[in-house]
Amino acid sequence: MGTFIQLVVDGLSTGSIYAALALAIVLVNQATGLINFAQGGMAVLSAYTAYAFLQLGLPLIVAILVAVVISFLMGAVIERLLVRRFEGGDPDTAVVVTIGLLTLVTGISAVLWGYNNLAFPSLFPLTSVEILGAVVSVRSLATTVTIVAIMVVLQVLFLRTKLGLALRAVADNPGSAAFSGLPVGRLLMVGWGLAAVLGAIAGVLVAPQLTLTPGMLDTALVYALAAVILGGLSSPIGCVVAASAIGVLENLVAVYVPLIGHDLKIAVPFVLIFVILVIRPQGLFGRKVVVRV
Amino acid sequence: MPAMSSVLANKSTRVILIAVVAIALVVAPLILPAFTNQTLVRIGVYAVAVLGLNIVMGYTGQVNLGQIFFVGLGAYVTAYGVNHDWNIILVFVAACVVPGLVGLLVALAAARLGGLAIAMVTIALPIVGVPLAKRLDEFTGGSQGTSARFTDAPDWSGLYNDQWQFYIVLLVTAAAFLLGRSLVRGKYGRAFGVVRENEAVAASMGISPYRTKVLAFTVASIFGGASGFLYLAAVQYTSPETLSFGHSISLVAAMVIGGAGSIAGALIGGAYYVFVPQLTNAIDPNLTTISQGAILLVVLFLLPQGLVSLPRVVRRLFRRRTSRSSLPGNPPQNSPVHQPATDAAREGLEKTERQDRS
Repeated sequence: MGTFIQLVVDGLSTGSIYAALALAIVLVNQATGLINFAQGGMAVLSAYTAYAFLQLGLPLIVAILVAVVISFLMGAVIERLLVRRFEGGDPDTAVVVTIGLLTLVTGISAVLWGYNNLAFPSLFPLTSVEILGAVVSVRSLATTVTIVAIMVVLQVLFLRTKLGLALRAVADNPGSAAFSGLPVGRLLMVGWGLAAVLGAIAGVLVAPQLTLTPGMLDTALVYALAAVILGGLSSPIGCVVAASAIGVLENLVAVYVPLIGHDLKIAVPFVLIFVILVIRPQGLFGRKVVVRV
Repeated sequence: MPAMSSVLANKSTRVILIAVVAIALVVAPLILPAFTNQTLVRIGVYAVAVLGLNIVMGYTGQVNLGQIFFVGLGAYVTAYGVNHDWNIILVFVAACVVPGLVGLLVALAAARLGGLAIAMVTIALPIVGVPLAKRLDEFTGGSQGTSARFTDAPDWSGLYNDQWQFYIVLLVTAAAFLLGRSLVRGKYGRAFGVVRENEAVAASMGISPYRTKVLAFTVASIFGGASGFLYLAAVQYTSPETLSFGHSISLVAAMVIGGAGSIAGALIGGAYYVFVPQLTNAIDPNLTTISQGAILLVVLFLLPQGLVSLPRVVRRLFRRRTSRSSLPGNPPQNSPVHQPATDAAREGLEKTERQDRS
């Protein structure tokens, strides 16, 4: 029982990292209608930025905050200079653009910091506490709580502020939003910036565990994409639920199903996807999209 | 340009041109140094993989990020067959059929999803494939990889190994390109084009978008498997590293840079895949990834139809400069996956109706 609770809490913590990336992907998709395959790579670059400021002697929390601000600007600039040109065009082309972007940002990380693993300090103490007789690491708990808190803030931002209303308007109908006087271009930049911030937070939270390498979040990106498919592109809550479920399930399967084990646990969400695709092609929570010709 | 195309249209000129290229390709390995031969062989290997990718992505418009998985699978099947003393023809057939069947299974599920979701599912193939290859060490040799020598030149030929390998790869690559060219210019190629442009139109014409996508994906997997066979013929060794995520992304980059929806583009893509890492590795290995990303983005901005469209773009620029006033402005074309580059495919679309009636 103790191991079980520990596995569930650890699973929720990795699941929350996937959820943050998945939310960033959904955020970009809602605003610009494309899937950003570079979301993980950008998050890694943000984590490296925090590392660089750490090397300059800043305290960890300040370095992370500076990196978050820089990530926001990076996301906005990427939207303006690179993605803007391909928006509203062929979605397949836009996918290839984000793949080029993924290669580029991974390359930038590699050129500046090399391929060797770098140790990144943890924001939370590495101690553990006892809950219901199970030993649970503080880091897992704190990671989950941090990400949940950020999601609540985002939710409030989207539902209760004027900026959120404007962002939703642009996502819903860019044309009408522009007619009612909203600066669509600038709002798209804000959307990309917010997504980059989400990624940055996921990056710095997971970096101590995985150690920094340019390809650190490639696997996490695949999990996040699985969560997006399962949850449905139109449903942020669905993605979060799916991401947490994937995190917990893969942890449990890795330990309790020896045939799969730790090395093949990444196959779990995709087996799940194949099964669900046959039953519910629009995702667990997504709406069926009706396309008019 | 009219003079140029009339020369090309002349049948006897074209036959002579093809004959000259064919003779050059047959004679070349006998003259060239071993390193050049090996480089050309590797271009052939990856050109076949890029061609397969081009069929599903360039012609049918379904983003496939997992092509390297099928290349690796083909290579592993080849190694297994060779090490178990199967007939070499049987090995080749197995190296095509096994990836084809796996591709069919993946496509049956993935093609149910809309366009972008196929990309999201196929990206998992290499990421799941690497640990899977490590796990199934009975077949794959685990992390160590497995080697198989079957392309040493036989004594009667009097050839060096690199020359013998060149001929094997040349044979399979030429066959693959001829088959690929016939496929995209024929009935199925037109079906691919309609599905890419508009699935509703395809359905209304009696072409099932789902089945067409599954077909394109399966064909791509078979080409991937053939490329894996050639990979083992050329390199004689494979390991889980062969099917890593980075290589899969590189294949997509090579396809787009060469020219999506173009047979010649696949050949250029294969050359790009081999040459550019060779070049950047010589300067600084850390530069490989960043240069690839930068080149891909620059090509998408400036030459959205890939390097294969370079002559056409240059010609258009030249023409616009000479007679600027008489030409109406061309709309900007910024979609590599969207626009077929070959004129033949365009002709084909018009013919569709006539063909269906007959």
